Amino acid sequence: MIGQPLSEPVTATIMAAAAQRFALAAGDLNPLYFDEAAAKAAGYRTTLVPPVFLAWSLNPPRPLSEVRVDGLYRGEGKRVTLNVKRVMFGGEEWEFLAPAYAGDTFTSETRLRSLEEKTGGSGPFVLQMTETTYTNQDGEVVARARGRSIAR
Amino acid sequence: MSEQRYLEDVSAGADMPPMVKNASRAQLFLFSAATNNPHRIHYDREYAAVEGHPDVLVHGPLQGAWLSQYVMDWAGPLGRLLGMSWQNRARAFPERDLTFRGKVTAVEGDQVSLEVWEEDETGAVLMPCTAKVRLPRRREPQ
Repeated sequence: MIGQPLSEPVTATIMAAAAQRFALAAGDLNPLYFDEAAAKAAGYRTTLVPPVFLAWSLNPPRPLSEVRVDGLYRGEGKRVTLNVKRVMFGGEEWEFLAPAYAGDTFTSETRLRSLEEKTGGSGPFVLQMTETTYTNQDGEVVARARGRSIAR
Repeated sequence: MSEQRYLEDVSAGADMPPMVKNASRAQLFLFSAATNNPHRIHYDREYAAVEGHPDVLVHGPLQGAWLSQYVMDWAGPLGRLLGMSWQNRARAFPERDLTFRGKVTAVEGDQVSLEVWEEDETGAVLMPCTAKVRLPRRREPQ
């Protein structure tokens, strides 16, 4: 199970407008996202996608019938299912290896890295680590994200 | 535009100027929309109470975006964000000041390591983070 993909790879093109909508919603007016001349002056080919937007921009559109009562989408694909009360999102670790340009097409693939049973102050828990690789249309890895979640 | 910061200007132990964010409920809605995130804890206060929260919550990924903004603004347009790592330690709520602070922990070659964090109005750390950036030199070495 370790090292196995957790779902099918997802491919999508991130347009500048979507990247800018994300930056504006975060109150981030960095010209590298909005101004082609500024991006070129900084050594880039064109405007950038805010780096952490990669994680939220590649999800395929889903119908309303897949929205649960809490608003989250129903799980799909192969997942790790744990018989636990709750899962907490523990944190993220990103490596940025190449620029993510607006207009580029990215593919993400998530694999299970580790699953460890541990004992903490408030009892046993399972620490799950996943790794997502983001690759552009030229096959260049632009980023890697490792996610930690805690289930108890 | 943020000003350019150069390698010659930074040294270990130096503080980064703080950045303050204060999210309105409308901003949370717009962030949910921009990330296609329908989770009700970010816009439905009554439902948030069902999950045990006293109010709607600021998205973890929004706080992650703020951390990357804080570091990229500090580094300036010629700086390059090489990596960051953060932990979600406590909840953040809208309509309250969230302050981002940080300091330089190491300079090795052209790579600068930073320790940054987000704190609430009481000074409690909500998200600790480490980041690495590459900075340009004012003059290239001969």
